[in-house]
Amino acid sequence: MKKYMNDLLTRYNYDSFIPEKFEPWMNFASSPKTGTLAPDFPLWELDQAPTRLSEIWSQHDFTIVEFGSFT
Amino acid sequence: MNAIADQYAGQNIGSIFLYTLTSMEQKFRHAYDLRDVLGVTRPILVDALDGACHRAYGSMPNMTWIFARSGLIVYKSDWTDAYSVENAIQYFAQIPQRRKAGERLAPFHVERLDYRNQERGQFYKALERNGPKAVEEFRKAFPMG
Repeated sequence: MKKYMNDLLTRYNYDSFIPEKFEPWMNFASSPKTGTLAPDFPLWELDQAPTRLSEIWSQHDFTIVEFGSFT
Repeated sequence: MNAIADQYAGQNIGSIFLYTLTSMEQKFRHAYDLRDVLGVTRPILVDALDGACHRAYGSMPNMTWIFARSGLIVYKSDWTDAYSVENAIQYFAQIPQRRKAGERLAPFHVERLDYRNQERGQFYKALERNGPKAVEEFRKAFPMG
């Protein structure tokens, strides 16, 4: 299990933005559908305080979530 | 996207940036850079080290999702385009008002192909701060912009 997690962390947090490393993760076509309930996950604020995605979306009538990184 | 967040904040529309990839230490450092270097003014949240949230939603490098207060997914795009997001949020923002006015609304599915601006000058200018390797890798990965 530990080996699987280490492997997952290494492969997901790839060191180079090249197709061989990021394309295997891209599965937008099989991501949750519109009209369904969104899966919830733990997240962290910038001060490292824990929160959840559901805490975010429950604060407003609608919530825009942009995913991205700055590497 | 920051401008859209500001423009619709008064209409009960929330907006965040969800930071993905890299180690937790790097995640937080780079998330601060998003705010301090790139000027992201929306609340910035950070995903888990294993990218559980990012992976569950499709792992695209820069995608946007819109959720209703109930957690219902109402919009998903595999690339972020401010025009597309604003067009969608203009539509959704009037739903509560229409309901208050007595309209009986039921959801239905729409499929639509949007078009994004491929002008990448500003993006690459920001990417240059990360060094030539970052620029070279992105250009190779997305030669069409």
